[in-house]
This record gives sequence, structure tokens and C-alpha cells, in this order.
Amino acid sequence: MTYFEHLPFLENIPAYALGALDARDAAALEAHLQTCTSCRDELVAYRATSDKLLVSLPPQEPSAALRKRIQSRLPGARVSARPRWNWSLPRLAVTIAILLLLALNMLSLSQVRTLQNQQARLMDQIQNGQMALVMLSYPHTRSFPIQAENVTGSLLLDREYNNAVLILRGLPAIPENQTYQVWLIAPDGERTSAGLVRPQTDIPFLSQPVSAAQDLVSFVGVGMTIEPAGESDHPTGSQVFRIDF
Amino acid sequence: MSIGKPEFRYNGGVPEIDDIQLIKRVVKGDEGAFLALYDCYVSRVYALALHILADSMLAEEATQDTFLKLWSRAHMYLPERGSLLVWLLSIARRTALDRLRLEGRRPTLSDARDPTEAWQTIPDGNSLSEESHWRSLNFAVQALSPEYRQLIELAYYQGLSQSEIAEVLGWPLGTVKTRLRAAMERLRHAWGPK
Repeated sequence: MTYFEHLPFLENIPAYALGALDARDAAALEAHLQTCTSCRDELVAYRATSDKLLVSLPPQEPSAALRKRIQSRLPGARVSARPRWNWSLPRLAVTIAILLLLALNMLSLSQVRTLQNQQARLMDQIQNGQMALVMLSYPHTRSFPIQAENVTGSLLLDREYNNAVLILRGLPAIPENQTYQVWLIAPDGERTSAGLVRPQTDIPFLSQPVSAAQDLVSFVGVGMTIEPAGESDHPTGSQVFRIDF
Repeated sequence: MSIGKPEFRYNGGVPEIDDIQLIKRVVKGDEGAFLALYDCYVSRVYALALHILADSMLAEEATQDTFLKLWSRAHMYLPERGSLLVWLLSIARRTALDRLRLEGRRPTLSDARDPTEAWQTIPDGNSLSEESHWRSLNFAVQALSPEYRQLIELAYYQGLSQSEIAEVLGWPLGTVKTRLRAAMERLRHAWGPK
């Protein structure tokens, strides 16, 4: 290729190095560069010139926030410098104080709930005791003594008003997986559940209403057995006492 | 290994050993090495993006995109092709020009930055090694006639083709080609054979 044949390509190389050559001319030059070593050398020289244009600008600092913004957007970064958590003494002290406050808070909450449960049980006992007192004032109320191996007390029964209350003393504590269950005994011997009883360690006696879906006149006795926790359909455990009306 | 803030390096397009070591660690996902390169080169990347976009917010976005590309494409850097800084600034230029086109901003005679002004933002003071380098390069650009500087500005920093420059300036295309070639020849000779 003669110099004059090279000339149109040579003239376009500076613009090409700047990225300013129009698309059609750029395509022609790129095809020519495939076969022309001298033009490729010329391009390398002009590329070095355009590279220097890149680095010739005075540096300028961006905002300090940019660094953190970029850092937060690095996907899958592996931190090689210091660990993210720096347990300084003040931070450790604040953390311990917060944990202690949380623990105290939890303890206080637990104590409040225990007191609320105790209060609810006492209120039940007071109500049951009041019911027993009222029943004792009725002329039709009959008292049946309970005298068993581990427990003593009375059954107050008012058939006219269909009320009955058990007053028990010395009922032994039982494991959490067991409960005392009260039964009403029908004339044919069939038992109907009349409520669950759990003695309280802090109260030596308890009063428990005997609840019945039917009239109490249709039953001939009351009994108590030890059953698994929950409520049994019929007696399965050992008998605590039995009273026949 | 602790990483301090490295000093700016530009060794005439030849990659520095430190850069090569750091970029290898970036390829492995080392955030510390990435931040060392950021601290070293961000002022150059931002300066270029700001020069092209003339808007600090857009320039920061372009700078961010450039460094995120460095993070994800570090394995594509080839030291035998030239310095890391030039590679990074090439990415920054393309990123900023893409953003310029996206914004639909086209320079006209009225809103094109006065190249004389653009090249005059050089601080005074004693030359340090970094500063002396870009000062010496910048000196050659300043030595061009305003006409030539404007052509370089529109072609390289605004991404216009010769036809587009002819349209913006209202010059014949042949005149643009001749003067742009002349401007580049001046710079090439001023900056030496390399």
C-alpha cells in the first residue's frame, strides 16, 4: 500500500484515539488496522496521548460520604482489616447494664404474675368460703363429715337450691402430672365429673363448690379420686374419700 | 496486613507493583485492598467525572459506578496493557459519558463550558510529585490555542463525534477533522514519544 493509500487512515487515527471518529470511518479504519502494522503503531502513540488527557485534570475530592456509600454496596466483600465490632469499655458497660435491666425486668414480671395467680386463688377461696357460710345459714343445708386417711372436712349440701360445697383440710399435695377429681355418684353407680381440685401449699384448707349439670337430688353420693392431669371421663385412680348422702 | 492510605502513583502508563498486588487482592474480594485503591485514586476519578458532567451529584454517582465496576471487574485488568489509573479513568470516562447521554445533555455553543475556564482550575502552590505530574501534562493542554482546546473538550470530554462537533460549532466537517488532528499532534509532540 502506498503512502497516499495510507493517508486517509492515518489522518483518522487521532480522532479515533479520542473516540471522535464517525461510525462509518471508524469501521473502515478498524478493518485497515487488521492488516497494517504501521497504522497500529501510530494508533498506539495517539492512544498514549489520549491516556494522558485522562490524567491531566487537577484532582478533586468528592464528599466523605461517598466512601461509605460505595463500601456499603460492595457485594460479597471480605473484610481483612479490623473486626466490625470493637468492644470498647463504655460499650461493654452499656451492654451489660442493658442485659441486667432486662433480667430484672423479666424477674419483676415473673413475680407480678405469681402474685396475680396467688391473688386469684385467694379470691376464689374467699368466694367459696362465703358461699359455704351462706349455705350454713340455710335451714335446709345438711353437713356430711369427711374422715379419710389423709383428709378431713365436710360436704355442705342444699338440695333445695341445688348447691354443694366441699370443705377439705389436710389434702396432700400431688405431682404436677396429677390432679384430684370430684365425682357425683348416681344411684346406678355411674360417676359424673364435678370438678378438679388442686391443694395449695400456702393454705391449709380449701373450699370447693361441687358443680353439677343435673339436679343434685339425682345423685346419691360424692367421691374424690387421684387422676392424671387434665380431666378423666371416669375414675381411673385411687380413691381419696366417698360420702353417701 | 494493615493498609495505609497509599500515595498517588502514575508511572507513565506503567503499572506500579503495589497496584498489581492490591488488584489481585480485590479480585479475591478483599475490601481493605479495594478501599486502599479508592483512597489512592478517587480524587482523579471524581475530577474526571465532574469535568465531564459538570454536576457534583452526578459526578459522585459516576464515581460510585466506576468503583463498583472496579470491584466487579478487577479480574479484567491486564497490567501489560497499562497502568491501573488509566484503566480506571477509562472506565470513569465511559461511565460519565453514558450518564451524559442518558441525561440527554448536548453541548451547544451557549452552554458548552468555556474550555479556557475549564483548564484554568489549577491550584497554585509548590509542586509535589503527584501534582507536578498532572501539572506538566496540563501545561501542554493550556499551551494549545482556545480553538484546539475546545475541540479536545468536545471530542474527548463530551464524547461528540467529528460530525457532531461540526454541527455544534457550525464549522465544515473538514475543518473539524483538520484542527482536531492538529490539536492531537501538538499534544503528542508536547508529551513526547510515549
